[in-house]
Amino acid sequence: MIARRVFFGLALAICWLAAPQLGLAGEPTSEAVEHFENQVRPLLAAKCWKCHGREKQKASLRLDSAASVATGGDSGPAVVPGNPDQSPMILAVRYSDDPKMPPEGKLSDAEIATLTTWVKQGALWPKYPDSDSPGDEQAIAALLKAAPAGERDTLWAFRPVRDPQPPTLKSRPEPKSVVDYFILAKIEELGLSCAPPADKHTLVRRAYFDLVGLPPPPEEVDKFVGDTAPDAFAKLVDKLLASPQYGERWGRHWLDVARYADSGGYETDMYFRNAWRYRDYVVKSFNDDKPYNRFVQEQIAADEIWPDDLSLAGSYVMAKEKLEHLEARIGTGLYTLGPQIHESNMDAKKLDYERMTDWADTTGSVFLGLTLGCARCHDHKFDPISQRDYYGLQAVFAGSREVELPLVNGMEIADFKQFYPRIVAIDEARRAYRLFEKTAAGRKLTPEEEQQKQTLRDKIAAAVLELPEAAASSPGDRFDGLMEIPAASVLGHVDGPLVPAVHILNRGDLDRPKKKASPEIPTVLREATGYRDSLGGPTTSRKQFALWLTSPDHPLTARVMTNRIWQWHFGSGIVATSNDFGKMGLAPSHPELLDWLSKRFVEQGWSIKQMHRLIMLSDAYQRASAYHDPNNLAKDADNRYLWRMNRRRLEAEALWDFVHSTAGTINLKIGGRPIVPQLADDEMSALREPWQWTVSADPKDHTRRGLYILVRRNFRFPMFEVFDSPVNSVSSPRRDVTIVAPQTLWSLNNRRAFRQAQEFAGRLVREAGGDPGACVGRGWAIALGRAPSETEKADALQLLETLAANAGSAAPLENPPADLAKLPPERAAALAKLCLAIFNLNEFMFVD
Amino acid sequence: MKSTCCHRHDLALTRREALLKSGGGLGAMALAWLLDRDGALAAAASAGSPSTGINPLAPKQPHFSPKAKCVISLFMQGGPSQMDTFDPKPELTKLDGKPLPASFKSEDLKLQFMSAAGATLMGSPFPFKKHGQSGLEISDLFPNLSRFADELAVIRSCYHESFIHGPALSLMHSGNLLLGHPSVGSWVVSGLGCESDSLPAFMVMTDGVIRGSSSAYSSGFLPAVYQGTLIRTEGAAIQNLAPPPQITPPQQRTLIDQIGKWNQSHLASREDDTNLAARIANYELAFRMQAAAPDLIDVSQEPKAILEAYGTDKEPTARFGRMCLLARRMVERGVRFVELYGNDWDGHGDCPGNHKGNADKTDKPIAALLADLDERGLLDSTLVLWSGEFGRTPIMQGNKGRDHNPYGFTAWLAGGGVQGGKAIGATDEFGFRAVDDKVHVHDLHATMLTLLGLDHEKLTYLFEGRMRRLTDVGGQNDLAERLVKS
Repeated sequence: MIARRVFFGLALAICWLAAPQLGLAGEPTSEAVEHFENQVRPLLAAKCWKCHGREKQKASLRLDSAASVATGGDSGPAVVPGNPDQSPMILAVRYSDDPKMPPEGKLSDAEIATLTTWVKQGALWPKYPDSDSPGDEQAIAALLKAAPAGERDTLWAFRPVRDPQPPTLKSRPEPKSVVDYFILAKIEELGLSCAPPADKHTLVRRAYFDLVGLPPPPEEVDKFVGDTAPDAFAKLVDKLLASPQYGERWGRHWLDVARYADSGGYETDMYFRNAWRYRDYVVKSFNDDKPYNRFVQEQIAADEIWPDDLSLAGSYVMAKEKLEHLEARIGTGLYTLGPQIHESNMDAKKLDYERMTDWADTTGSVFLGLTLGCARCHDHKFDPISQRDYYGLQAVFAGSREVELPLVNGMEIADFKQFYPRIVAIDEARRAYRLFEKTAAGRKLTPEEEQQKQTLRDKIAAAVLELPEAAASSPGDRFDGLMEIPAASVLGHVDGPLVPAVHILNRGDLDRPKKKASPEIPTVLREATGYRDSLGGPTTSRKQFALWLTSPDHPLTARVMTNRIWQWHFGSGIVATSNDFGKMGLAPSHPELLDWLSKRFVEQGWSIKQMHRLIMLSDAYQRASAYHDPNNLAKDADNRYLWRMNRRRLEAEALWDFVHSTAGTINLKIGGRPIVPQLADDEMSALREPWQWTVSADPKDHTRRGLYILVRRNFRFPMFEVFDSPVNSVSSPRRDVTIVAPQTLWSLNNRRAFRQAQEFAGRLVREAGGDPGACVGRGWAIALGRAPSETEKADALQLLETLAANAGSAAPLENPPADLAKLPPERAAALAKLCLAIFNLNEFMFVD
Repeated sequence: MKSTCCHRHDLALTRREALLKSGGGLGAMALAWLLDRDGALAAAASAGSPSTGINPLAPKQPHFSPKAKCVISLFMQGGPSQMDTFDPKPELTKLDGKPLPASFKSEDLKLQFMSAAGATLMGSPFPFKKHGQSGLEISDLFPNLSRFADELAVIRSCYHESFIHGPALSLMHSGNLLLGHPSVGSWVVSGLGCESDSLPAFMVMTDGVIRGSSSAYSSGFLPAVYQGTLIRTEGAAIQNLAPPPQITPPQQRTLIDQIGKWNQSHLASREDDTNLAARIANYELAFRMQAAAPDLIDVSQEPKAILEAYGTDKEPTARFGRMCLLARRMVERGVRFVELYGNDWDGHGDCPGNHKGNADKTDKPIAALLADLDERGLLDSTLVLWSGEFGRTPIMQGNKGRDHNPYGFTAWLAGGGVQGGKAIGATDEFGFRAVDDKVHVHDLHATMLTLLGLDHEKLTYLFEGRMRRLTDVGGQNDLAERLVKS
């Protein structure tokens, strides 16, 4: 046992990082790993394991794991790492002495050479198909304590968050913020030059799109540009942070990470009727500036941390505390909206496994910034996460289940029962209609019968209209849909005896279970945080896990979120791979800054809004993006060191919101069931069944913010798909930005885009009158936040003339907005087309 | 043989890929690339590296000399029965109506609607005959296709892990049960780019509903530019293709020119931003696409004999025939990967009736496609794949149906340098399980990539901490070598 543990420790060191202090060869090259996986392991499997493996252990010898090779059999260890000539196994395969192995025939020279090379190079065994043993705590602890070895410390994210002093600068004037010391130090070090501060027009537009995802109204631009007070920008930031649209903008970022969708995907794309409540919960949490530690706790374990039967005690009005608990619990909806295979419901074991896989992987990506999925099939090759660690995390969720939680008080549930005959009435009306259909099947109806049929249909409609839309007890609270009790899909528990056992699975194969796993924090994190408690049983393990995760000195939680916030401001994180802080991720560009910010984050009560202030009030955030310096480009073309601001293309939803804002049609209503805008026929072709896209009845809903549009896993909203919305099957850390022709086709040809251009034109007439010059000026102000240059204005006026004069065979505008219709038709059409051209400008799509 | 499931690769490629996705920081060379896709720069690009340019669809060099340049995948959705099509089972016919022998181990055969133990065997009502010089056996369901027996390499030993449509469809396309993984078409296009500069690189057509919808042709975690484009075979082929009727073509030209002018002056102070430049260039591409896509689906110029051969002139072949004809027109125009969905082979109730109907719809068009490609000298460079998401059971569901069967099923390849007239692998005596020379879906994908000159172990992409492959950790087989014409 001792030999096994030691060997495991050594192997860990070999695997995960260079550790010369332990007296071992350095990090295995990928060639060495490949050599083992491609040649050594298959050879052992083919020639040795039949007698020295799981089934048989001749001479007490197994050769199918690092530990067993080290321990050896009756005559001691099978190999002496580094020394093939003294390794019994090598001597045996050479047939130079007894025993001669394998007995049925000597290996080929090439095969012998393969094994010899392997032993010579240290008998590296890079993964552990049988490793259901714990990671060696001592070895991991030693690694965490040891000074980082080599150029790149791959365990940096597991080490404590430091509170570094801001660096001293050589030659700079006092920057605005402590943040800048860290940024400027790098810029000095690399010999880069800094872009000048952005002008105020650029800055106000940047802040608006960044914080609320909407363009600044022209009057706000003027106000900000005219405000010469030193704290003008700070006031603007505060104002935007207080706007309810802030939560929608930043909530949408979080929803990417949370792989949010309103349906399950796969063949049937099951509809999740309550998913939107999680979306609204996220928006509200951001608006409330809910402390991030609380936000994490709620999503993982609100039900366990704040247990409450949420029932009512003697009043229609729920106590404030109960409402808070109810809201918190909706946070666990995170775990109810992952991809789901309809047919897995035939097989409870499979369903559990698929869910727990989604839950463990999502928890890892979202909160830990670690990709754990590799360890489902084998020990993680690069990060110190073993299979046991992985299934230990799955086991945290073993006792949990999705449940539907009514969001109304008991009286309203009783009201539902009271009204239930109304539902029976609909069913009876339909039965009456079906009976009629049966009697009339296959023949032509008489006029009287036609009449009768219509009457029966009308009765169904009448019964539907009779359904109460609100409970009698609290008429303000509406039922969902057709008299459904409003409910949230959240986490709850199964009864004790039904808690399924979680097993470590051989190769992740459900049919090949190994040891049972119990709820555990991954070893490396347990060591990193010095956590010695138990996570407890199936009804408390999520709570313990969430409390551990949000302890103030946790090395990952604050860093991961700080980095996300930074990424959403700058387009790229300090760690560019924001869901992967492990070895496969990229190293932080400014490690000290990340730590400094993470410390402030926790110190300031995990307030996300405070982080916005800290970041946005820096020089780094306020630099111009249009800045060209060949020296900088040669040294840092990607602008990792932030010598200028990154220019960003608006994301799909932001572009949708922008187009509708410009047109003056945006409906800023907050929250509620997903809305379903009308689509053109050509946009519907990828939809499986038309009824899966039931269009919202109220046209005003069609121009709500993009955040509220139904998110089907099987049918991404066509415009969003074209503009790189995420696939949503797993956590998406960052939006792609592709530049492709279908986007251009959307901007040029989409019927909605053109309709909104007409609305925009109507707005210009309304706000600027019919004078073309005034319209152009107003159009530039609304869409681009600035006045047009003389050339632009002349070009625009010329364009209006040309379009009006060359209408040719163009169809007339269909039902143009009333204000636009005040212009002569060819002038109105020309103005709408100019507005369409504005939607097509790079300046419109990109934020400097 | 290499197994590189999660090795750390040179992050340089990854970084460049990340740049492609983030669209940031590429040099001025990128613009040159985009604007001059046939120039010398293009020739230097190698498979899977969209990196040196921001036009990720520029044609790229494969890893090694390819047999095929493009793919037409004929996807028979629903799961065609191997026993009724390309895998003759005389023993099954003999025991028709008898129970599955107790000696036949079936505990591991999970099925959707039934349990195998004690179920009744159902022989095929369709007789098999030997065809061509090779004597390849094909059932009477395909009288036209049978004439091309010497072109078909029939793989009778396909298998994978899911007996449910959705995950099985996902497996056959992305090699993974779960959503979010790129389809084989997306991988191919990411590796090879596209020869056409005015049509999508990966085009999809269907004659019915695609189960799982766009996830079947999704680019998954690859950049969205590699996503398949579902086109309509009539009317407006591609979304947003035609300008609104209120904007005449000359007016659109005027608008595009003015937009270009304004965008150019916006670019002047931002000259190193290739995203901005790419967007400007895309107006010309979009303008070309507006003309190219309607031209693609306008078959009125095709000779009458061709239309008749594909059966576009009459039922039941009209729809699938048109799809096959369009597939040829796409390949001619340089589209890299074409996928056609034929629906719906899910014969739970009356399998023979279902299959007769589907064969009648597709047999003549597929035969015409092979003939037409051959006639135009395109067959050698076009790999044609026929498969479903799984096969069907030799046991009877209800009184004439067959349930899903992923344990053994048939696919065939033709063209693309493949030596036809042979059958690879075998199922057991009833056709339930692949038993001999088994070909997993990873093996099939690896074979396709190999024929296209791509090394399936090198065509990788870093996602969620792993270098991902279409073939995951599988695909180690020599099928491609055995298939190619000597």
